[in-house]
Amino acid sequence: MVVELIRLELLKTIRSTAFAKSALVAVFLAFLAVLLLGYVLALGLFLKVIIEKGFEKEDAYATLSSFLVFFFLFEFIYRYFVQKLPVIELERFLHLPIKKSRIIHFLLGRSFVSPLSLIALLLFTPFAFQEVGPRFGSFAAFSWLASVCLSSWSLHWLMLWFKQKFEDSWKGLAVIFGILLLTSGSTYFGWFNLGDWVKPLFDWSLVSAIPVICLFGVFLGMYYLAYKFYYQNAYLEDLMEEEQVRFVNQEFGIFNRFGLAGELANLEWKLIIRHKKSRTYLMLAGFFLLYGLIFYANPQYKTEQGFNHLFVFVGSFITGIFMLQYGQLFLSWNSANFDFYMQKEGGLEALVKGKYLLFIGTSVICFLASVPYVFFGWEILLIHIATFLFNVGVIIHMVINLALWKPKPMDLNKGAMFNYEGVGVAQFLMIIPMMGAPYAIYLPFALIFDQYVGLLALGVVGAAGLVAYPYLSKIAVRKVMANQYEISSSFRQEL
Amino acid sequence: MISVQGLKKQYKNAVVLDVEELQIPKGECFGLVGNNGAGKTTLFRIMLNLVRPTGGGVLLDGMDVSKTENWKSRVGAFLDEHMLLSYLTPDEYFETLRKIYKLSVEDLKLHLEKFQELFNDEIQGKKKYIRDLSKGNLKKVGIAAAMLGNPEVVMLDEPFENLDPSSQVRLKKLILQEKSDRQVTFLISSHDLNHVTEICDRIVLLEKGKVIKDLQEKEHMVETLNSYFGT
Repeated sequence: MVVELIRLELLKTIRSTAFAKSALVAVFLAFLAVLLLGYVLALGLFLKVIIEKGFEKEDAYATLSSFLVFFFLFEFIYRYFVQKLPVIELERFLHLPIKKSRIIHFLLGRSFVSPLSLIALLLFTPFAFQEVGPRFGSFAAFSWLASVCLSSWSLHWLMLWFKQKFEDSWKGLAVIFGILLLTSGSTYFGWFNLGDWVKPLFDWSLVSAIPVICLFGVFLGMYYLAYKFYYQNAYLEDLMEEEQVRFVNQEFGIFNRFGLAGELANLEWKLIIRHKKSRTYLMLAGFFLLYGLIFYANPQYKTEQGFNHLFVFVGSFITGIFMLQYGQLFLSWNSANFDFYMQKEGGLEALVKGKYLLFIGTSVICFLASVPYVFFGWEILLIHIATFLFNVGVIIHMVINLALWKPKPMDLNKGAMFNYEGVGVAQFLMIIPMMGAPYAIYLPFALIFDQYVGLLALGVVGAAGLVAYPYLSKIAVRKVMANQYEISSSFRQEL
Repeated sequence: MISVQGLKKQYKNAVVLDVEELQIPKGECFGLVGNNGAGKTTLFRIMLNLVRPTGGGVLLDGMDVSKTENWKSRVGAFLDEHMLLSYLTPDEYFETLRKIYKLSVEDLKLHLEKFQELFNDEIQGKKKYIRDLSKGNLKKVGIAAAMLGNPEVVMLDEPFENLDPSSQVRLKKLILQEKSDRQVTFLISSHDLNHVTEICDRIVLLEKGKVIKDLQEKEHMVETLNSYFGT
């Protein structure tokens, strides 16, 4: 029976739309996963050297052990965002004559087979045998490594429980935010050093097997916690909560002036707020507004005259992030109800124009929200004005036209992290012109004349694009109209 | 009103639809029956210009549906949930349609009043997204939306499916009422032979994409269909 379940699971992976529809994307993702894990391993191999040379600490072991707790806290946070819950699979097994406990054991076990489980192992194994082994003996190396990995894997089960219970609620976010504050705050302000509290546990594991046994107990306990929670709640209604109607009357009033297109822009706004995937994109856009702090405040990027060329990229990112991210899946967002627009008079045209309106609207908001960066210098504001104009004048058309290349359907109720539904080759290739275009205009002028002339050129081209908007937007409309049958038939397919 | 000529739809080598000629006059209630995969939904989709025919075309009052768009406000349709905006509540959805069809608030109210009996207090004023409604209620929303804006033609795919028996009767009443009041042309596909023979003046039987029977006389409909389906 278990073998059969595993076989089904493999089939599902191979035949899932994200993989089967685009082999190139699958290869790219596999490559990406291997690459990232390779980085982790490389970091692990050089961990000893980095601590000793990079941070100039003499006792690499003591430094790492007192730092471990932060690693786990950090792991807790990335697991919260990345780790997938196995409940979606539950639905298709629940009605079969298989024991519920067995299904849940299987699903939990299945969730453990993931690159995330390898991270701690890859990162700390080299260290255990380069540093811990030679200094404290090979028993210590194994025992220490086992404690570290068991702690990391306990988090896996804890997260399954935590995320299922609190996801999408303010409580979960509050805990995450609290943990973030705790990690950075406590050590920074010197209230207490969390690391020194946890270090003795790992020190003990060097000489005794008791911590390993205890942590194994914790590991099993966490597994049991997750198992029990899933077992008790293995009903469709419990695991898939019905959403309450929220933000009912939130609309952009200004869109009402644009007729049918404005009406559809408002609809799109509701769509964004009411689906999990698009909500995450929106949150990310808000988050990326802070992106500038990394660059503008960093003395490393300070130049004696003018500003760093990199800032143009940062500026175009900040003022256009939502457009870039949301726009790359342009029509896929409407894949579930594309027929609705097709069947209305002028519906497709209004749909495309409505999206234009929405993108311009969000860009304006992002731009306005980024104005406080003027604190870091007037040139930042100029950069933002230039890149904003360029985004709404030129980039917007590039994103939309590229996204219209073979759009794919997707399910909006799944999370956005590591969800490649609707993503095709176009979405990856899109990055190149997005990053290249501003520089193609800016750099020649900046290098020959002056950086500010470069910005002016960027702004002028953007403004010209805005003037040509009625013409340029028609290209996308025409493209959608011409391909409407292909698009709608691909959207009608089951995911 | 609707005229189909030499219509053909082919996926690679498989011919899924092959209708030589079909004329549907104004005010007719046109029933479409056939086994699964006979091409009923495909025919509707081509009539609505959602799918491109391989050959031939559909004319609505002499205009090719794939060439123009202004016929769209005169034709209402509900084929499946792709034609709904499932992330809205029913109230929001009707309100959106009202704006798209440029109706007054009063028009919408009058329209929905006709559906009060069918809705059975389950649709309006509820804080529930359409995607969370039961299948039957979802169908009711779709049907009410298809008939909004005084369309001259209404296409419904399996309208009786998933409805409870009393709702089925109410829907039949509604369709007959609309037909006699405003001369609406109905195109209805259904597996429920009793309902479809009761309300339709004419029934076309599709088999593997071909029209094999065109029944216009009420007396013989039930008999012929029963013998065809073996019921």
